Amino acid sequence: MESPTSWLVDLRNITKIFNGITALDNINLKIRNGEILALLGPSGSGKTTLLKILAFIEKPTSGEMYFEGRRVADNKDALQMRTESTMVFQKTAVFNTTVYNNVVYGLKIRGTPKSKISEEVKDALRLVRLEGFEKRHAKEISGGEQQRVAIARALVLKTKLILLDEPTANLDPKNASIIEEIITTINHELRTTMVMATHNMFQAKKLPQRIALLTDGRINEVGTATDIFGSLSKTLTSFAVLENTFKGTAKPTVNETTLVDVGKGVQVEATAKASGKVSIFISPKDIILSKRRFASSARNIFRGRIAEISDTDSVVRLKVDVGKPFTVQITKRSFDEMRINLGTEVFLTFKASSVQIIHD
Amino acid sequence: MNMWRKMILAASITTILVISGTMVYYRYFLKRGLIISTTTSLYDTGLLEVLEKEFEATHQVDVRIISAGTGIAIQHAERGDADLVLVHSPSMEKTFLAEGVGVCRKIVAYNFFVIVGPESDPAKINGTTPVTALKRIVDYGRNQTNRIWISRGDGSGTHIKEKSLWSKAGYNDTELSREAWYASAGSGMGATLVMAEQFSAYTLSDTGTYLAYYKAGTISLKLLMSQEKDLLNVYSAIAVVPNLSANKTVHEEINFRDAIDFIKYLVSDEGQSTIEYYGKAQYGESLFHGAVKLLAQNSTSEIAQWIRDYAFFNGTECPPEYRYNQTDLYG
Amino acid sequence: MNEIFEGLLKAFQLIFSGDPTVFEITLRSLYISGLATVISALWGIPIAVFLGLKDFQGRFFLKSLFKALIGIPTVALGLFFYLILSKSGPLGFLHILYYPTAIIIGEAVLITPIVVSFSANALEAVSPEIIDLAKTLGASEDQAFFAVFKEALNGILLATVASFNRAFAELGVAQMIGGNIFGFTNVLTTTIANETAKGNISLSIALSIILLTIVFGINLIVDILSKRRLEIWKWRAPHLGW
Repeated sequence: MESPTSWLVDLRNITKIFNGITALDNINLKIRNGEILALLGPSGSGKTTLLKILAFIEKPTSGEMYFEGRRVADNKDALQMRTESTMVFQKTAVFNTTVYNNVVYGLKIRGTPKSKISEEVKDALRLVRLEGFEKRHAKEISGGEQQRVAIARALVLKTKLILLDEPTANLDPKNASIIEEIITTINHELRTTMVMATHNMFQAKKLPQRIALLTDGRINEVGTATDIFGSLSKTLTSFAVLENTFKGTAKPTVNETTLVDVGKGVQVEATAKASGKVSIFISPKDIILSKRRFASSARNIFRGRIAEISDTDSVVRLKVDVGKPFTVQITKRSFDEMRINLGTEVFLTFKASSVQIIHD
Repeated sequence: MNMWRKMILAASITTILVISGTMVYYRYFLKRGLIISTTTSLYDTGLLEVLEKEFEATHQVDVRIISAGTGIAIQHAERGDADLVLVHSPSMEKTFLAEGVGVCRKIVAYNFFVIVGPESDPAKINGTTPVTALKRIVDYGRNQTNRIWISRGDGSGTHIKEKSLWSKAGYNDTELSREAWYASAGSGMGATLVMAEQFSAYTLSDTGTYLAYYKAGTISLKLLMSQEKDLLNVYSAIAVVPNLSANKTVHEEINFRDAIDFIKYLVSDEGQSTIEYYGKAQYGESLFHGAVKLLAQNSTSEIAQWIRDYAFFNGTECPPEYRYNQTDLYG
Repeated sequence: MNEIFEGLLKAFQLIFSGDPTVFEITLRSLYISGLATVISALWGIPIAVFLGLKDFQGRFFLKSLFKALIGIPTVALGLFFYLILSKSGPLGFLHILYYPTAIIIGEAVLITPIVVSFSANALEAVSPEIIDLAKTLGASEDQAFFAVFKEALNGILLATVASFNRAFAELGVAQMIGGNIFGFTNVLTTTIANETAKGNISLSIALSIILLTIVFGINLIVDILSKRRLEIWKWRAPHLGW
């Protein structure tokens, strides 16, 4: 049992109800000083709401919050606490002005002396690898760069807690990986406590020290990556609702690969070695969508139909039913050019090396 | 939203400040105001500006002149929005006195309306009388296809004069207006003259506007008839009764004092000579003539008689019951 | 054609000789319409905030109403105010009829719907995340509201300029409740109308040119300013996040 002062935040019985809908139901969570904690769960599980409460921009309907051991009682406290934690949103938000003005916003509110400001901004931009971007207009840079500006904006405040809501969800792989590196760097260099929401299992395995599983506003489990991905019976059920995660039986093949049968006639080939009961995961970004079957070096080709289409900022996410539902992500442009509709017959192609296996 | 309340507060305070600030300035730091309501045909000649300057040189008042059509000019006074009216429609003036709003009427000037038309004078009205001229215009008009008469059609003093002439000639002008040759402009004098120019038509005009447009070269219509009894145009000044209504504030605000002073100025030698000489330099002839001397000396001049016939009520320019005890105005 | 050319010539003469009457009329127009714009902005922006950001019953109807009111005929509004401000009307005790003050109020009412409609749209268009963003960066309710306001500032500025244009160039209200009293309430538009009726066409053309030049000039300046995204405004209000 660790002493209470090593917990930065202590949430007890936090419930949040919006218009009769329970977004968070009796959340109990402790966040350790200096750790990265991931909130893993499907969309709608309450991750964003929980983050907003941790950022003190949303008030819980009931329950108690303790920050550094002190109780956060009411609105006055909340306003004060806002300076202790800050949040980076899923949908990138930038002010309609220069990068510099974006980053200094919080500093100006706090009344930081002018002499210190430009140094701080430079440092923050360096950390997010946007040196020299000060005079650029925030609306005129790419989505990935905007998100990094948002992180710099949060960094420069040197808050005790940084919250990130699916920071790489709508970004291309290159920017996504830059941001993942930045997150790790920040945590190492500045020892900032971070809570990040994600529904990307791969990210959840890589970045945080601890993971909290969230479904339907409730925390199912909290533990280290090994704990979570190690013990299966409970988490299996929760994994089932995450995208592109399937349970199956693995069998080695003659080619030194593994074939995993996940049911309904779907057999996935993976380079990782495994046998017996496993769970597999394929990132939506690793799957190629086509209207015709094409020859390639990829080992996995499936035919299916478009079951769902959803639009986000920069990408279009599609659910394809090949027997099992796969989530695929393509750019808006590709979507328009391919002229896809619900029910269109498509082919999914992905490499065996993209398949991640977690042993049961 | 606290911020919101602050904004509304700022707006309210500013509005109140602007209104009260400007009004305090205008009413207490500027001179007392005398509001004169007059007709466009009088105002547009520019005579009133000259009179205003002269009057303000010797009196501590700010003369403010509003011009509109005759009917509205009088309405302004009825509402208490003017202290003095200067108009030229005896029938309306009579009602104005009778309803108890106008007092102390003085006839200050006169001139003549004019009938103007194309140089060729196809209806051959030159040299005849107004009534004959109108009859000839009707006959001529009915025998051809163009528009040859433009009426003001706007209820102004000039239009009322026109209507009375039609009536004297034995016509109903409303019926006439339906005939093809009769056009109703529904505009001010200037626009009406321009229209007459376009159509090479005849129209009734006041002297001032006609001369101004003619001299500027905007129109080339010729003056075909003037100086006739039927075309007499008489201008009167009427003050507004101070205790206008039961409403005390309205009563306090009618500037009766300065209105009477202004009337006195108009009928003084100085005022009368200004009126008499106005326009001589510009147009080679006077636009107006002073009426005071003409009437006062009980003169037997033809024009004086015309004025009495046309613009007197019960044998006087202002029946005693409407004189509001201003005996020095009436000799 | 001749008259237009004469008018242009006369316009230059009047402007460059610094003709005092023209100068006075122009200043009066600017002062009256300027104050009207200030008042309408002060009222219009909070109304726009309410309309654009708060959700309430009848919001749709109210928005439509303001949009429709943008096009009120100036003479109709002028007549309305004339009847109200007349000595025999309900607000006659204020005695502001035929004073410049009346025109200021009348024009302010005329142009407020413009400010409200355009500003409400601009505020609505600001992403809702901005408020959360500002708050999470430490802003209080007021400061967060200011951030939203700042995002919409271009649109609000446009609204204000558009409303000034309308006030400056309108005739009906100034005529009806100002009375075009020479040396007191005559503004550019009423003088143009009157001089035209009197036959002084070239003077009217000259004044029209001046009016148009001013409107164009002001618009140009504001366009340049907003293109540079208000970066050159050195208003220091750091505690509000500027």
